[in-house]
Amino acid sequence: MTLMKLLTLATCFASALITSPATLANDSTLTFANYRDIRDLNPHLYGGEIFAQNLLFEGLIHLGENGKLEPWLATNWSVSEDGKLYTFTLREGVTFSDGSPFNAEVVKQNFDALLDNGNRHTWLESIRLMLEVEETGKQSVRVVDNHTIEVEFANSYYPFLVELGVTRPFRFLSPKCFKEGTTKDGTLCYVGTGSYQLSSNTVDQQASFEQYANYWGEKPQIEKIVAKVIPDNQARLLALRSGDVDMVYGLQLITARAFKQFETDPRFNTILSEPVSTRMLILNSKSDNLNDTRVRQALSHLTNKAVIAERILLGLEKPADTLLARNVPYADIELTPYQYNVETAEQLLNAAGWTLDGKVRKKDGKPFEITLSYDSDKVVERTIAQYLQSEWSKLGLTLNLVGEEEQAHRDRLKHGEFDLSFNISWGTPYDPQSFLGGMRKPVYGDYAAQQGIPEKAQLDQHILDALEATNEQERQAHYSYVLETLHNQAIYIPLTYEQNRAIFNKKLEGVGFNPSQFEIPLQRMSIK
Amino acid sequence: MLGACITLLLVSFIAFTMVNLIPADPAEVALRVNDTTPSEEAIEEIRIKLGLDQPFLVRYTHWLSASLQGDFGTSFTNANRSVFGELARSFPYTLTLAGISLVLLIAVSIPLGVLSAVYKDHWLDKIVRTFIFASTAMPNFWLAFILIWFFSIKLYWLPSSGATSWSHYALPSITLCMAYIATYIRLIRNSMLDTMQDNYVSYARARGLSEYQVIWKHLLKNSLQTSMTALGIGVVRLIAGTVVIESIFAIPGLGRLALSAIFNRDYPVIQAYILVMGCLFVLSNLIIDILQTVIDPRLKSEGEYQ
Repeated sequence: MTLMKLLTLATCFASALITSPATLANDSTLTFANYRDIRDLNPHLYGGEIFAQNLLFEGLIHLGENGKLEPWLATNWSVSEDGKLYTFTLREGVTFSDGSPFNAEVVKQNFDALLDNGNRHTWLESIRLMLEVEETGKQSVRVVDNHTIEVEFANSYYPFLVELGVTRPFRFLSPKCFKEGTTKDGTLCYVGTGSYQLSSNTVDQQASFEQYANYWGEKPQIEKIVAKVIPDNQARLLALRSGDVDMVYGLQLITARAFKQFETDPRFNTILSEPVSTRMLILNSKSDNLNDTRVRQALSHLTNKAVIAERILLGLEKPADTLLARNVPYADIELTPYQYNVETAEQLLNAAGWTLDGKVRKKDGKPFEITLSYDSDKVVERTIAQYLQSEWSKLGLTLNLVGEEEQAHRDRLKHGEFDLSFNISWGTPYDPQSFLGGMRKPVYGDYAAQQGIPEKAQLDQHILDALEATNEQERQAHYSYVLETLHNQAIYIPLTYEQNRAIFNKKLEGVGFNPSQFEIPLQRMSIK
Repeated sequence: MLGACITLLLVSFIAFTMVNLIPADPAEVALRVNDTTPSEEAIEEIRIKLGLDQPFLVRYTHWLSASLQGDFGTSFTNANRSVFGELARSFPYTLTLAGISLVLLIAVSIPLGVLSAVYKDHWLDKIVRTFIFASTAMPNFWLAFILIWFFSIKLYWLPSSGATSWSHYALPSITLCMAYIATYIRLIRNSMLDTMQDNYVSYARARGLSEYQVIWKHLLKNSLQTSMTALGIGVVRLIAGTVVIESIFAIPGLGRLALSAIFNRDYPVIQAYILVMGCLFVLSNLIIDILQTVIDPRLKSEGEYQ
């Protein structure tokens, strides 16, 4: 009763404050919810929201469906026999939304800005190979004529064309936005050749994008796009229900439970993409109780992925048999999955010397005990961890759980201070090249976890060889070696293949997915 | 005044030390939150750029002297933004939210507090006490969602998030003041009950003043004095208490700035936030002290005799 009275009272105050009722989004405008501000949209760095950078800036090559390479600001390209020299023919008649023309000089200026800030792009082997050319006193990026440009590498490097297609960092900023000829110390504006331009941004509230009238290509249908900042998960979904926003998009923003709730609501559409990345456990081969391959294999056999996919992830992710799904380039190889099988696991544990003593499994009198660390913000990870804890305890294995705040967790991974942890592959189109490439450097948990396997040095070499191979078969052979070794060593327990998600109200049409889960194909959407 | 300065110096030192005790390397985190691969070269480069290669005390003195001039440095997570600019941008939102909440707080807690004291043990008092109980027990994020569900989704009356018009502040300010309302009603109720025993109340009644005059003119004025300190601190508490509410209602205020700074290990922003909050608390205490002496001259003379 008192609460109702208070609500009535509150209503009086509220109605006094109302200037206009909550308005539904305008007809030619698409409003969607994001969890943070668009931040710094400098296309040559990584600190801005990808959807926004993708609306404003374009690259030489477009990644179409299934990662197909399509012409974009380059109409044509060719690669030399030795794989070291790339030549691009640029599209004519393209202008930036500030009126500056797009030409070979501008392309060179943009590439040079990236080389000028090389330390920020260490994940890209291509930048390193370009810098290596520059060190010899030669220019790596050269203007051939007004609409032709060539890029030379110190070594052949096949993923370059894919890297040109992802949102960062190879996109073109208007020369008028450069600060002292470069972009490493910030930019003066965010102007690209894209079909939309940034019309306004109220920090931490909303950003608006409007169509660029002189866009060279096909005009998108939606006139204005508004990205509203709503940091809280629940509040975002409530805003969708109340009509304040039309769409919530992305794996990180929609929980499985929320997706299921909206699935049955007739006012909304829900869609799922093809698998985009792998959710997995990473096992530290340096850890005392996990340095035996048989133990790691036993844990793989003890993990019931079907239950995790169906019960915990509510069927929104598919059980994963291998580190990378078979539709990932170069990952379509024959590997025998570790099927869920308690007996095999027991045999392996016994063979490794971990025998059952009462209810606990021991070796040399020491009980089996390992710790699974996870990011405490990720509720799903905690749930999976608790499930494994109860399952594995049935075999006398003690699994301790440690949930930590994100940055502390990432520190732990980097420094190898873990037994087990969760991990996610980079996702299409970065898999396999960037995900495997990242294993070579002491930056992520992968590097630390692999230190205990005898073939680590060969693994790193094969990864590098795969990136530099000029011939498909050779490259496949290197990738096969890497994937097979990691599989046999059971360094990873693949759990599920993640699928991207979107929920939107029925007035929206053409909502789909790009190869990269971090992008939102807003340009293809329309309003009924 | 001297005490206040020492307190502030202490606050600044604690703010700086505590933040630096966080185990993560801020240079590395600064790269990570910008989705940049934190390679050794990149970390080294950014460490020098951010001045993190300097010894602790050097950094502290630099920071303190710059802060005193209003320069809190630049945000680690976005080099284009100065910390002062960030604070200046978010403060008005939080101030508006806290201001409306304060008005609500006073408008609701004084009448309810007085009523429940005057009608002690009457059904009215019992209802107020139940309300106190309920509002203390209810987590404010939960109340926030109930309000959104009712007013934004069921009735379509009010927007659920953002801060672009006055109507956007309605739900968050109700939620915010609810967290403190119970405390103030109880405070006013108790001090009213205490004051009622005083001789001057009986004297006022004996003088034949109406019950209305006794309660609203004499009792309330004297009871409010004790509640004043609490209310003064309350203003700052309202400002500091906006963290959760600003996140839920997507208000780009100080609370949210602090929260994201903590998650991103944005040292300069965290330090500046703690310092500003410390200043506000010390300042509001000072103002309340002065105000109280103005209202009740007895306090001043007591001080002089001691």
